[in-house]
Amino acid sequence: MEFRFRKGRDIDLGPGPSSGPAASRVARAVGLTARDFPGVTFDLRVAEGEKVRRGQPVCVSRHHPEIAFVASISGRVSQIQHGARRRIETVEVVAEGDNETTYAVDAAQSDDGALRRLLLESGDWAAFRTRPFGRIPDPSGRPSAIFVTATASTPLAPDPAQVLGPQLDSFRRGVLAMLRLTDGPVFVCQAPGPLLIEPGERLRVARFSGPHPSGLSGTHIHHLWPVSSARSVWQIGYQDVAAIGELLASGKIATHRTISVAGPDLGSPTLVRAPLGADIADLLGTGHPDDDIATARLISGPILTGRECRFLGRHDLEVTVLVANAQTRHAPSALGRLLGWLPRATPGATLPSEAFERLFPFDILPVPLMRALAVGDVETAERLGSLELVEEDMALLSWRCPSGSDYGTLLRRVLDTLDEKQVQ
Amino acid sequence: MTGPETLLPGNWDANRQAVVSAAAIAVPLAVSIAARGSALLVPLVLTIGLAVLWHLVFARLRGRSSGWDGIVTAMIFVVMVPAAVPPWQLGLALSFGLVLGDLVFGGRGRGFLSPAAVGLAFLLFSFPASEAAASGTATAISAIVGGALFLVAGILSWRVVAGFAAGMVGLALPWDLAGGWPGLPEATLILGLVFLVGDPVAAACTNAGRWVYGLLAGVLVVLLEHAGGGILSSVVFAALLASIFAPLIDQAVISANVRRRARRQRHG
Repeated sequence: MEFRFRKGRDIDLGPGPSSGPAASRVARAVGLTARDFPGVTFDLRVAEGEKVRRGQPVCVSRHHPEIAFVASISGRVSQIQHGARRRIETVEVVAEGDNETTYAVDAAQSDDGALRRLLLESGDWAAFRTRPFGRIPDPSGRPSAIFVTATASTPLAPDPAQVLGPQLDSFRRGVLAMLRLTDGPVFVCQAPGPLLIEPGERLRVARFSGPHPSGLSGTHIHHLWPVSSARSVWQIGYQDVAAIGELLASGKIATHRTISVAGPDLGSPTLVRAPLGADIADLLGTGHPDDDIATARLISGPILTGRECRFLGRHDLEVTVLVANAQTRHAPSALGRLLGWLPRATPGATLPSEAFERLFPFDILPVPLMRALAVGDVETAERLGSLELVEEDMALLSWRCPSGSDYGTLLRRVLDTLDEKQVQ
Repeated sequence: MTGPETLLPGNWDANRQAVVSAAAIAVPLAVSIAARGSALLVPLVLTIGLAVLWHLVFARLRGRSSGWDGIVTAMIFVVMVPAAVPPWQLGLALSFGLVLGDLVFGGRGRGFLSPAAVGLAFLLFSFPASEAAASGTATAISAIVGGALFLVAGILSWRVVAGFAAGMVGLALPWDLAGGWPGLPEATLILGLVFLVGDPVAAACTNAGRWVYGLLAGVLVVLLEHAGGGILSSVVFAALLASIFAPLIDQAVISANVRRRARRQRHG
């Protein structure tokens, strides 16, 4: 299957990381952040000051205690931050020693129940997200399909084919494990080029190309297997699949990911190997003057959807470094230059324009949806297809919209309301 | 609502859109000033002053900051309005258009009509003697230039333009080839298409809807002209009627889209 999109927009922030082996970075601290897992309330399994091994559960989900969230490095729990209503927000682990947990994986090779238990206790379950809603799936759920996203269309993202090069065996083992979690198909979505895995009866490979958001799983799911309140799928990133493959082979959990550290103001973009939730400042490595780093804004995730925070987000594969507010590297048109000096308008109403359709490769009507989201009309937003979308799918529309609304946040509210309704 | 932080500032906002619109209408406005001289300056100052005043009044009433789009409305109004209209009629009509076509709904983007079209319709209704609008090849060409700028900026939809042309040609050709349309369409017609019919707020907001909306407006212009209206009143009332139907057209497109997506899911 081949999909070529013309709709969308690539945001040019300068060169991405060059092809070369990823540099290794030692994270002095990692953080497990509740914000990465919408809908999850953490229950602690460790105390402050306690020593933890790599792969040891630090928290579990309150509603599904089977789902474990594990430490990605060996160390000591140094800080537990609470938010509103004493909810746990961040658990920080400072590196210390080198102890790790090993898992018995023999049963999981053939028994589907054992595979599920292994993924749950090793923390790899948290790599899955459902669609609709974008949450961690129920431990007993069986999705109608699983999407493995091995594409990247966000600016400065690492190239999946390059990252997977040395881990192709693990990746394939992981994809085969995915087949045992669903009765439906498993879609591997990749960029044009050599197939990452040989397709089979239930294993399908689709190639996607075109400007952003051609690499987002929302786009793939919409075109291959549209979801609704009655049909849900799971999505998982390519590096998480490779990590599952490695776990199945060795019994040790793979907590390192290949992250690109880049930005319009960073001289040389680099690929680094770092543990999940690493302190972003540790990823920059040496060779940067301290002043630069002190004033830079370090963003976990792509520029359109990332956020400025201390620890790398669970699903983020890039760190965007900005010294000032981002300016795209598009050669500004005469019109654009002329308009640059204008003062910014205060946020207002959605002004419809054909430009939104040009950015939105979905069979979903952008302007009616944006209007429904802006006024909080949950029913209309659902009818118009919000269940097929998550925040990142709305990012380009928010960027282009003169109103200054953040449709991703508005969409999340609608999704939360719909999710509550479904549970009742 | 706005996000907690904007990492990449959006490339558009209401001010930018207003300035681009003003630049697009400034081209035909400049040509009109060149043609009619200082006679146009009094209405121009009057209408812009009125537009700013009304926007400030409503900004005050609602406790919000005011936008710049009122000035664009005033400029469109001045370019399209007949030459011989006395200033008090101008002021009354524009005030009607600004307030009832736009500001009572909460400002630009919240209404569903083009305020300039509402003002012109009011003028043509209340003081029917005034016809004979902007004309001349120079104005027509300048209107095309303004329209091209609008198209490039993505404010004017090419689907509306194509639908409009198809509607007019499709209906007018078989009807009277003899009466005929001259080589270059009337300046008023182009101005009306670009700035009244093409107003993104008044037009349909879905791609399929834009075709139907443009087609409807084109057909209405021909019908109204055949019914004996002048070119200005035909364009103005066609724009007004079409924009009243635009939400209905959009609803039809939305239901078709919802049905299609539901079907996809059953078979997918």
